[in-house]
This record gives sequence, structure tokens and C-alpha cells, in this order.
Amino acid sequence: MNMKKITLILLLVLGSLVLSACAGGNTAVNTWPGLAADAERAYLSAGSFVYAVSLETGKEVWRYPEAADGKHIYFATPVLTEDGQLLIGSEGTNHAFVSINPETGKDNWAEPFADAKGKWVASPLVLNDRIYAPNTDGFIYVLDMKGQPAGDPIEIGGALWSAPATDGTFIYVASLDHHFHIIDTVNNTTIEPIDLGGAAPTSPLVTENGVYIGSFASKIELIQQSGEHEVIAEAVDWIWGAPFIDGETMYYADLTGNVFSFDLASGTQNWSNIKPDGPIIAGPLVVGDQVYIATESGTFFALDKDAKIVWEKDPGGEKGNIYTTPVAAGDLVLVAPYKGDFLLVAYDVEGKQAWTFTPEK
Amino acid sequence: MWESFIIQPMTNLLLWIYNVLGHGPHMFGLAIILFTILIRAITWPLNAQQVKGAQAMQELQNDKEWQEIQKKYAKDREKLAQEQMRIYQTRGINPFASCLPTLVQFPIIIGLYQSINRAMASSPLDMLKLARTASTYSFLNFDNLIPLNSKFLWMDLGRPESIALFGFALPTLAVIVALTTYVQTKLTMPPSTNPNDQTAAMNGMMSIYMPLLLGWFALNFASGISVYFITSNLLGIAQYAATGRANWRNLLPGANKKSSTKK
Repeated sequence: MNMKKITLILLLVLGSLVLSACAGGNTAVNTWPGLAADAERAYLSAGSFVYAVSLETGKEVWRYPEAADGKHIYFATPVLTEDGQLLIGSEGTNHAFVSINPETGKDNWAEPFADAKGKWVASPLVLNDRIYAPNTDGFIYVLDMKGQPAGDPIEIGGALWSAPATDGTFIYVASLDHHFHIIDTVNNTTIEPIDLGGAAPTSPLVTENGVYIGSFASKIELIQQSGEHEVIAEAVDWIWGAPFIDGETMYYADLTGNVFSFDLASGTQNWSNIKPDGPIIAGPLVVGDQVYIATESGTFFALDKDAKIVWEKDPGGEKGNIYTTPVAAGDLVLVAPYKGDFLLVAYDVEGKQAWTFTPEK
Repeated sequence: MWESFIIQPMTNLLLWIYNVLGHGPHMFGLAIILFTILIRAITWPLNAQQVKGAQAMQELQNDKEWQEIQKKYAKDREKLAQEQMRIYQTRGINPFASCLPTLVQFPIIIGLYQSINRAMASSPLDMLKLARTASTYSFLNFDNLIPLNSKFLWMDLGRPESIALFGFALPTLAVIVALTTYVQTKLTMPPSTNPNDQTAAMNGMMSIYMPLLLGWFALNFASGISVYFITSNLLGIAQYAATGRANWRNLLPGANKKSSTKK
């Protein structure tokens, strides 16, 4: 009898532990950090906090909020606005959308945003004093610069994981529902969505030639304002990170770990057989003569434009991965490993480590 | 090993069912229901064995000879244990018959639960894990399949469910989960006439804690999990009712006490 009693209690306890540990769905959100920078600070969203880190010293300047709150979880890339706000939404159960003063780390406003049913995985876009905030519930919420509703939410359909982009008139946004959407903010109209053939978790890249977008269909499409579109380049596997355009060359990478250099003028690959060391989720970054590639394995590569490895570093340590696209800040290149020894690492162009950042508890 | 033998096959099976159903609106909810039915069908013999074992143990509790032995050796636990083993042997009762199938099923239930969670991929990292899981087998056109359409009836299976009524968010699914868990637990509790029956006391505790626990999960986690809980509970009730041993009277409050005192 005792045996049975003990077994039942153990099952109950074990069941509740395992279920709560693996439930994940809505409370224990966990994903890779978001990273942005201005001339003085790096802004890193990593779980319970958004950190401001001094580019000069690598020390924490502030963290938001001051104390952890399980309902607020930040992983979206923070966005700096021209009027000096740092915008970010929470992925936690409280769908707060926050404006932080980048100087002080105090919030200018923090809207609980009860209307939004989903989380804020994507960064917002600011256009003409309006904040366009994409939510995983498939709507783009329109706010004024004080966080108040400034228009009806725009229904896109499909979860929105990537920041919209703009050419000043149109808003371009990709959805996980395989479609690319073009919104005319002047006439308040939308163009017929474009089927990308796969989910697109990455932000569009707006250029004078049109808008470039990669997707899980393993293709890069060039899309015009009118909605005309064509596949201009292909990959072997999913394209997750946004492509980077440097002059006439577009750099992109895929989940199998291939890095591509594509000549936009001729429509041909400069090189496509470069596979540094495993899957690549982060987008490439080009600064000066170097192409920076971060891999899931946790290695950070600097390549020259002929694909030769100039240097490689291991900011992720033994267990760390890199999923976040690196960011250039002044003379530094910033890398944010996931589950690594450090939360943020800064290198100069020669690969010399400038500093590392690990938050104090 | 857990990933290779439990999560990957289960998640791919779930995705395959979703794909066969046409991966449109409501189909992921239907896929969860069919997936649960399939898993319950596969584990049917284990469930039947568990029910049979529990029934045999419960019948023993109501057995006059055993009750007398308990009284007789109430102060001699060693002798009581010897007598207990003797009775098990003479009546062909395996004391682990009800526990072992539960233990064997436990990984399957957890795997099922994790597979549903994995398939719903609510963050970029989850999506990456799902991609890895799905790429294990080549029979799925995964690029075309994701993201899963999480709409099912009035619910978004990726989020906790509630229905807005008169300004209140009513968690209907959590209530249904708690109710079906209560009904299932109560039905499988045979009446006990033995006042010293610890199993009956334990079952009584379970019939309160389990509905509360699962109701709490349904309240806080993705409603796709609630669909699984409800389907699983209803199948459990149907399976037990099919054996003809369902104790419907147990559903009434205080039914156990009345039957004990009358006798």
C-alpha cells in the first residue's frame, strides 16, 4: 500500500515538475538576444532586462527594469528613434510596449497594451511620428510617440516576427504566413500580399532598386513598390538573417551554413561555396573591407571580400551559440552570444577583443 | 536519446497528421485530437492492464479475509506484510500491475505533451528546434508546412484560452480540463468499504489535486495542451466505461462516505 502511495505522489510531483519545465509556450519564453547601438552605448535585450553597455568600457550603464519581473521578457531588438527614445516590446505574459530614455534607463512610458493578444518578437518601425509595432497576433499597432493609439491596427495575418522597413512612404513587412505585405501609409491602402513560398522571419532590406527579402523558401526576392517581384538569388537552406548590401554586392547566409556573395549588377554569385563552421541564423555584417559572419557554433568570422578568413574568434565559448546579427558601433563590432560565457563581446577590426560584458546579479 | 526516440518521432507524426488534414485553419487542433486518439489506442493494452490491476487491488481492500488479517496483525507489520504477500500469491495479484503500466506510459504522455509544445514553436529559438526536429525525416515538405495554423474553433492554440463575457475573460477550457479530469479520476475509483483503506484516501486526494493541477496548466499555458488534456480525459473515461466498471455514483459529492457508512 505504501509503495502505491509513494508511487502516486512521486508521479504527481514529477508530472507537475516536468509539465511546468517543458510548458514553455507562453510564460517561459526563451530565445536569442536583441542588439542595437548608438555612438556611446550598446543596447542589449536579454531576458528579464534591457541593458545599456558603455562602448568605451564595456560596463553596464543601466538596466531596465531595475528588478526582474517574470511577466516582462525582452528579446526583440531595441529601436532608437530620432527624438531620443529606445523602443521595445515584451515577449512575456504582460504584453507591455515600452519607451526607455537611453540616457537614464527610466521609462518615458510603458503601455500594458491589452489590445495586443500576442507577444512583441519584432522591433517597431518609426515613420512620420508614428510607431508601427508588429505583434505575433498578426496586427501592426499604430501609436503616437507617446505610446497612445494613433490609428486602427493594421491586420496583416500570420505572426509578425520581423521589423517592418520603409522607403519613407510605403511600409514593407514580412509575415510568418509566407506573405510579404506593402502598406501605403499616405493613402492607407495595402497592395495584394506577395507569396514568398515560405515563412519570412527576417526584416526586408530597402534600397533604391527595390526591397530585398529572404525566406524559408531559401530564396532572395526583389520586390518593387508596385508589388512586382522576382527571385534574384537562391540558397541551399532557409535564409533567416537579413541580407546585407555593400555597393553592388549582396551577402547572405543560410541554415546549412553557406555564405553567399552575390553580384547584383550581373545577377551571378561571386562565391557561394564558403561554409565556415555550421548553421548560420544571424545576418552578415559588412564594415570596411571585412564581412562578418557569426555561426550557431559560436564562432565569429571576419572574411575579406574574396571569402578568405582574416580572423576567427570564439566569443560563445564552449557552450555558446550565436544567433544575433552582429552590430557595428564606432570602431567596434559587437557580438551577442546566446548561453555563452559572456552576454556581449566587442572586437576591433583586427579581431582584438576590446571588452566583454557579463551583467552583475 | 529522449529527443531521438520520443520527441522527434512524435512531433513528426503530429506534423504528418496536420499535413494530411490539409494544414488549414482548425486543422492543427484536429491533428492534436487525432494524434491523442492514436497514442491512446497504441497504449490501450497498457491502460487496460492498469485498470485491471487497480481493480484487483481495490477488490482486495474490500475483501473480508484481508480486512480481518489487517485487524489481527495491526500491531505486527512484519507478519502483516507476510500475510499480504501470501494473499497476493494465492489470488494471483501483482501489486505492481497498476503501477508499472503507469510508469511505462509516463514518458509517452510527457513526450506527447512536449511534441505538441514543440510543434507550436512560439519563439524563434523554438522554430529552430522545430526545423531540426522536422528535418530528421524527409517525408514532410516542412518549408511549406510552417508556421502551423494555430486557429482552432474560437481558440489560438498557441495561447491560453478565454472567452470574453460581460467584461470578464472566462477560462472555459481550463474549467473543462478540470471537470473532465475530476470525472475521470472519480470514475476510476471503486467504492471502498474498508475504513483503513489508504488507497481510497489517496484516490480521494488525487481526485482533488489532479483537476486543480491540470486546470492550472490549462489556465496558464497554450490551449493546444488543453485540447490534448480534454481529449485524453474523454478517451480515458470512454475506455473505463467500456469495461463496465465505471462508478458513476462516485461523481456525486459524498457518495463514497454514504456507501461506507451504510455498510
